[in-house]
Amino acid sequence: MKIQLELFGASKDFSKNDVLEFNFNEKSSIKDLRKQIINYIDKNLEGNKNFKKIVETSAFCSEDNNIISDNYKITKDQKISIIPPIGGG
Amino acid sequence: MLHTKIIDLSKEKIKPENAEEFIASSKFGASIVFYGTVRENNENKKVNGITYDSHDQLVIKSFEEIYNEADKKLNIKDKSVFIEHVKGYVGLGEISIIIAVACPHRSEAYDLSRYIIEEIKKRSPIWKKEHYENKESEWLKGNPIQTN
Repeated sequence: MKIQLELFGASKDFSKNDVLEFNFNEKSSIKDLRKQIINYIDKNLEGNKNFKKIVETSAFCSEDNNIISDNYKITKDQKISIIPPIGGG
Repeated sequence: MLHTKIIDLSKEKIKPENAEEFIASSKFGASIVFYGTVRENNENKKVNGITYDSHDQLVIKSFEEIYNEADKKLNIKDKSVFIEHVKGYVGLGEISIIIAVACPHRSEAYDLSRYIIEEIKKRSPIWKKEHYENKESEWLKGNPIQTN
């Protein structure tokens, strides 16, 4: 399964692109996605602690624009957005 | 009556006259237009401008929820509300958000305007990257969104 992770706010510093791609071999959850992003930061961003903190405190949003919990099952290829802590307006 | 929009500054400008036009009605005796603008200082740092990012669909959804909640929480049924927020680079003194409300009476208009901006701050997925005089820039920390 392929997950396209759309980056917003501070998470845009994770990549030059607005989207990161992750592959999963079996049914996975948001909790697994969170771990994969942390692994990506370890491998590609020298384990940047600030970036990891962003991942730990972020929410995630499904393709149909609902905030989803860590237990949300990813059962097909889809786009998911990472929603870092907010502070606009 | 509700109008919401994210204004992508790379494509268009935010226009205060649109807000005034939208809420104008002889049904209402009180109108308030709130502008959020970029100020020159934040936490003792000299700010040159702010880049706003937003999850457009979630932001619009949050604006609609906040508008609908006002019925129950503030008991304001008769109202006109205009909310636009920008995304992209905003210079000093320029507008990042317009909230225009019109209600039959002034107490309702003040309550509603304040309620909307406070809820947007808490709930709408909008992010700010401040640009400083010394050429550095950083995303502001913000608060985690509620996942229920």
